[in-house]
Amino acid sequence: MSSEDVKSVATSEYNSQVIAYGQYVLVRLPSEGLKLVYLKETGIVNLGKFGSFQVSGVIGYKLGQSFEIIEDQQVKPISHISEITEDNGPEVENEDDGETPLSKDMLTSYFTNSSDNNQNIINIGSKIQQLTNEDIDELKKSGASSGIGQQIIEKMISGHEGFDKKTIFSQQKYLRRKQQKFLRRFSVEYVSASQLLEYFIQKDLPRVLDISEETLGLIMSYGNIRPGGNYLLIDETGGVILYAMLERMKGQGSVLVLHDNEHANLSALKYSNYSEETQSKMIKTINWLQFLEPENERIDWEHVSETELADMKPSKKAQYERRTKRAGEINSVIELAQQGNFDAFISVSTLSLPTLLPEVLPKIGGSRPIVLYSQFKELLLDTQHFLSVDKRVLAPSILETRARIYQTILGRIHPMMTSRGYGGYILWGTRVIPQESGITAVGRGVSKRRKENTESSPEVATDSTQ
Amino acid sequence: MSFYKYKDYIEEGDLVLAFISRQTIKPLTVKKGEQLNTRYGHFQHDRMIGMKYGEQMGGARGYGFIYLLHPTPELWSISLPHRTQIVYTPDSSYIMQRLNVTSGTRVIEAGTGSGSFTHAFARTVGPEGRVFSYEFHEPRYLEAKKEFVEHELQNTLITHRDVCNDGFEINNIPEEFSQDGLINGDVIFLDLPAPWTAIEHLDKVISKKNRVGICCFSPCIEQVDKTIKALQDNGWINIQMTEIAGRRWEARKDMVKDLKDVVKRLKDIQSRKSQGIENRRSIKVAGEKRDFEEVDNDSEEDQLKGKGFNPFGKGTRIKEGDEIYDWRNVTKIETEIKTHTSYLTFAYFIPSDN
Repeated sequence: MSSEDVKSVATSEYNSQVIAYGQYVLVRLPSEGLKLVYLKETGIVNLGKFGSFQVSGVIGYKLGQSFEIIEDQQVKPISHISEITEDNGPEVENEDDGETPLSKDMLTSYFTNSSDNNQNIINIGSKIQQLTNEDIDELKKSGASSGIGQQIIEKMISGHEGFDKKTIFSQQKYLRRKQQKFLRRFSVEYVSASQLLEYFIQKDLPRVLDISEETLGLIMSYGNIRPGGNYLLIDETGGVILYAMLERMKGQGSVLVLHDNEHANLSALKYSNYSEETQSKMIKTINWLQFLEPENERIDWEHVSETELADMKPSKKAQYERRTKRAGEINSVIELAQQGNFDAFISVSTLSLPTLLPEVLPKIGGSRPIVLYSQFKELLLDTQHFLSVDKRVLAPSILETRARIYQTILGRIHPMMTSRGYGGYILWGTRVIPQESGITAVGRGVSKRRKENTESSPEVATDSTQ
Repeated sequence: MSFYKYKDYIEEGDLVLAFISRQTIKPLTVKKGEQLNTRYGHFQHDRMIGMKYGEQMGGARGYGFIYLLHPTPELWSISLPHRTQIVYTPDSSYIMQRLNVTSGTRVIEAGTGSGSFTHAFARTVGPEGRVFSYEFHEPRYLEAKKEFVEHELQNTLITHRDVCNDGFEINNIPEEFSQDGLINGDVIFLDLPAPWTAIEHLDKVISKKNRVGICCFSPCIEQVDKTIKALQDNGWINIQMTEIAGRRWEARKDMVKDLKDVVKRLKDIQSRKSQGIENRRSIKVAGEKRDFEEVDNDSEEDQLKGKGFNPFGKGTRIKEGDEIYDWRNVTKIETEIKTHTSYLTFAYFIPSDN
C-alpha cells in the first residue's frame, strides 16, 4: 500500500484496515497479555520484559499484523505470534545470527528423542533444569532481540534432563510455553468492541459487570442494533456497550444514554477513533432527574435583547453564550426523551429493573426490543415475574450464552480444561401495546366463559393460557 | 426496507409477524380482503391496516388475539419457513460480534440455506455493506431469492453456485455490489458440508485491504479436522474452534413448604381422626347432632386449601403463584435444550501487499 493510501485510509474515523498514527491499537503479547497503546509519531512502545519497539516500524501494516522485535527497537513482520518458520535452510543452528526463528527442522531435531508415554517422568520440580535463573538473566542482558529468547529456549531444552522422557506432545507444549515467555513477539490489532471488552475482562472484570463477548453479541443482535437506529441505553460499564453500539452504527443514528450520576461515564470511548463531532452528533446524555422530572429540569432561559448583548463586557458575553448553548442542549435532550419512540431499550446496569421499567417502557416504540442485562440471573427472574403482570413486554425470556473455547491443534482437539467463570444473563422481550378491553383469550375455560358471555377484563385479555 | 428501519403503522403490503404464542409466530404480508385463520381465532388484514406495530389485535368473532410484530432478523429466525437446519441467534450473534461485522462490512456467505443468517447479516451490515450469498440447491436458491426481493434486502446478492467446485467469483458483478470490479469480502461464513474444499477458492474474492475473518460452521468434529488443515494450508492464522451453548430459562414459582407446617398438619389429621372417633362414639351414645361451629372452625383461607389444616393444598388443584400460598421465584431450564448446534472454526487471513 502506498503511503498516500495509508494516509487516506488512516484519516477516516472508521479505519479498521491499516496501522496508522493517531489511533489506539491493541497490542497482543505471546503471553496472552494485552495492552492498549496510542500510536504517537516518534513514539516508543514499551512491552516490559518483551522489550520495546518504535511506533514508526509498525505503521502502514494491516491491523492484525504480527511482529518480532529484532534489535534496537526495530521490528520485522512475521506471519503470526506462534509462527514456526518452515524454510530456514540447514544453517539453523547458527547461534550468532540472532534473527533465526525456530524452524520446523529444529523442532523435529528436538523432538527426535521423545517418549511414547510419561512412564519415566519423575517430578523433581525445578531441580531437573540445569540452567539457573542467573544464567537466564545473563543471557537476557546480552541483547534485546527475539534471537536471544531463542537461545534461552535452546539452552533450557538442552539443560532439561528429563526432556527426552517427555512425550512429543508435552515437548511441544513445553516449547510453546517457553516461546510465550521468551520470544519478543506481538501483534497489533484494531480496537473493535470485542477487543476492547477482552482487554477489560483481563484487566478489570467488575468494571464490565462480568459481561462476556458472546453476551455482548447477543445484546447487539436481540437489540436489533444497526445503522440509523435511535436507541435508549443504560450503560454502567463506562461506555463499553455504547462503544459496541457505535461500532455497529458507524455514524448513523443516535443513542440517548440515561445515567445516574450528574455526568455520564463514557470513558471507554477514548479508545475509539470517532471524532468529537461524530460523538456529539450521535451521543446524547440525560440523567434520571431530567428524565423523570422534565418540567423541573427544563431550563427557562431568558434571552437578552440584541442591544443588551451589545453592551455586555466580552467575558460576560462569552459566559452568556456558553450558558445559552448549555440550556439549549439540556432542553433538547429532555425534549428527545419526552418524544420517546426509541428503537430499543438496552440496559446494562445494576439498578432495580422493576423500579425503572415502568418509567422507561412508555418511551419505547411499539414492537421494539427490550434487552436487559444482569450478571445475576435472579435479578432478571424477579424482573420477568414483574413483566408477566405488567403485560407491556411480550414473551420475555431469560437467555444465557456461553462460548466453549477449544485447544485447536490438529490431532489434539479438546475443550480447554479451565476458563474463567463469567458471562451474565439477558432478558429479552418485545414492547407491545395490549388492548384495554374487548379481548378474550382462547384457552382453558374459554368455552365456559363464552357460554356465560361474561365481559372480559383486561386481566383476561392477556391471559397467558393462549 | 422493513429489516433496515422501523415504521410505526401497518400499511398494505407490509410484512407483519403475527405472534400467536411463544411457539408460533406466523409471517404474513398484509393484503386487503385476506384473513389469518388460527386455532385462536380469525384476523382480517383490513383491520390490521392502520394499526400500530406491537398492538394487540382481537379476533373477528370476539375471541382470541394476536400481536402484530414488526419483523426483525431475530423474530424472523423463529418464524421462518425452515428449508434447512438454521443458524440460531446465539451462534449468529457471536459470529458477527467476534468477526466485527458492522455497518459497511462485506460478507460472503455459503450456503444460504433458509436465509435466516442472511437476514441478520443484511441488517447488521446495513445499506453501506454488502452480503454475497451462495446456494447450490436450486429450489432453495429460487425460494431464498424470491424472499430476499420480497423483504427488500437490497444489499444482498444471492448466486446459484456450488462454491466447492466452482469458487466464488461472479462475472459482471452488478455495479452497486462491485468494489473495483471485485467482491472484496471482509468476513466469510461457510455453512457447507465440506468447507475445506471451498477455502482454496477464497483468495480471489477476499479483501486485499484489511484482515479478513472466517467462520466455518460444521456439526462434526471430523469436518473441523479437515477444515483446520485446509485453513493452515491456505495461510489462514489464529485458528480457533469454539462452541456456543445457548440456554433459555423459564421464570417459575416454587411453593415454600415449612417443616413446621408439615408437623402441624400431621397433628391436625391426628386430632381430626380422634375427634371423629369421639364424635361417632358420642353420636351412638346420645344420638344428637353436632353444632355447626364444632364441625368447621377453619379460617376462610384454610378452607380454600382443602379439608382441615392443609397448608400446601394437598389433593387440590393449585395454580402456580396462587396468592393463598407462599412462593419463591425460581428459574427452570427449558425442557428441550440445544446441546449441540455446530462447531465454529474461526481464523484470520492477512493479505500481503504485493
